[in-house]
Amino acid sequence: MRAALVLLLLGALVGEAAASALWQFEGRLGVGGEAADGVYHHLDGAGRKHLAISAQTVAAVWEDNRSGDPQVYVALKRHGQVDFSPPLQVSGGSEAYEPVIAALGGNRFALAWEQDGAVHARLLQDGSLSPSSRLSAAAASHVSLASLGERAYAAWRERRDGTWFLQVAELRPSDSGGLAADGVKSVEAEGTRTPVQFPSLAVNEAGLCIAWEDRRAGHTRLLVSHSADAASAFDPPRHLNEFFSNRNEYDKGSGVTRVSLASFGADEIVAAWMDKRRGGSGYGIFAALGAEGGAMFGPNEKVHGEPGDTEPHYNPATAGNPAGHFVVAWDDFRHGDSDVWLSAYNDDLEWSEDFSPEVASGAGEQTHPAVALDPAGGLHLLWIERARPDAPSRLWYSYGAPRP
Amino acid sequence: MPKLRFTRWASILLLLLAAEGLRAAPPEDYRFLSLTEAAEQAGEAGKPMLLYFGRYGCTTCRKMHAEVFTDPGLRERLNRDFVLAYVDTESGNRIRLANGERTTEMQYATRNRIFGTPTFVFFSPQQKPLFKKAGFQSIEQMKQYAEYIVEGHYEGMPLADFLAKP
Repeated sequence: MRAALVLLLLGALVGEAAASALWQFEGRLGVGGEAADGVYHHLDGAGRKHLAISAQTVAAVWEDNRSGDPQVYVALKRHGQVDFSPPLQVSGGSEAYEPVIAALGGNRFALAWEQDGAVHARLLQDGSLSPSSRLSAAAASHVSLASLGERAYAAWRERRDGTWFLQVAELRPSDSGGLAADGVKSVEAEGTRTPVQFPSLAVNEAGLCIAWEDRRAGHTRLLVSHSADAASAFDPPRHLNEFFSNRNEYDKGSGVTRVSLASFGADEIVAAWMDKRRGGSGYGIFAALGAEGGAMFGPNEKVHGEPGDTEPHYNPATAGNPAGHFVVAWDDFRHGDSDVWLSAYNDDLEWSEDFSPEVASGAGEQTHPAVALDPAGGLHLLWIERARPDAPSRLWYSYGAPRP
Repeated sequence: MPKLRFTRWASILLLLLAAEGLRAAPPEDYRFLSLTEAAEQAGEAGKPMLLYFGRYGCTTCRKMHAEVFTDPGLRERLNRDFVLAYVDTESGNRIRLANGERTTEMQYATRNRIFGTPTFVFFSPQQKPLFKKAGFQSIEQMKQYAEYIVEGHYEGMPLADFLAKP
């Protein structure tokens, strides 16, 4: 009995070490300034792509109301610099929301956001912004970005004559020096009469993959589609989440929301989302791994571990890199206030035990993580901190060095 | 009576910024409004407010829509005596809180720790949150909750005592 207990404790210690051994976080940096009365930051872009790395530069994009109205800002940190640059306002107009960012080569970035009911984009190069260009032809929102080398792609939802469309385009340099949508196409040509929400886009050598929230079935399901390249049509949508129903005549299946995609390796995709399949415990974080650029996906997998399993989990974000690393981040309040949590595959190709970096946990609300992985597997983490749920917010960044 | 953290609910006076035109479906034949409109109307009219957190396609919501909200007496009572608000817990619809923050209906539900749907929050005519009920509620229960507020019993006794009365 005693030997069994010792083995159990040793097992627990080994397991914990394995989880926390993924990255070593050292300190945190403020992004965008100190918390200020009446100023609230948001990281709620489609797919949660608020952080990107290009060559020697890390860029973070967010929305806040420091000017009195919601606007989008970006800040940069070059390797070797101690702090992030002062915020640079990206958006104009009266209101702007839900920004996203994707890395291009040579310390360059593509930025996209919603502004006054349309979707816009800009190029960020050498700390300067190109002219802004409108991507959408009609009322649009929920824009997502993905990039492969020098190529950037955008996806957004657009509504015309009461029909909802998911639009995808490559972003190419425009005559004005900015970015323009080239070859815009609808994932489904006929659109849907029911809303589509928060698409997430990923791209690699095997093509483009898009996943989104879809309500055509009378409740929300996650659909996914793949295109071999920007010029080809998207495949007919397939279900991403496995759903369970038939509890009674009213049951249409477990609830799902807010999917995030990321490419890893040469042609693989990780998808993570919030999923209510656990019944009364609220949302869990579930994932699926895709092959051939998302042309096919494996079975759904529960990302988070048993500790905290009875609590709801929120705001999943994904990141991957060409070396084959990938990670899922989310927040939950298993310890009272919200903390940021991470999980990634361990050496046994299973999701590691949940890991909450010390810099993004503890007192106050630590929420809405965004993540990026550099080519060496270093983890860049951005999140929001509030003393209380209704208190002014601030943004923090931390770098987790991969442990040997 | 469950004690709500008033600070979380004090931000109930909202301004809707960008409705999407389509909202997750509240029950038919009820005058459900956006939270913004409802909060404004309730404040101006001095009426109690019922805030319904739902989710598109949620099983128990659908069951209540079919088996509870179809009751004519309940429909008359709620439409007449309450201002009704509906929040889609997975929506990106934008709202502005009383503190000036712009957020979405989903984030508002998350911040108030609405784990499941349906969840109903009943407010007094002074717009003070009184109690929260999650999960399936019967016709009789919904009528009792309404009576507890409309007839002013909330000023003199906890809800549990009121419900325990013969």
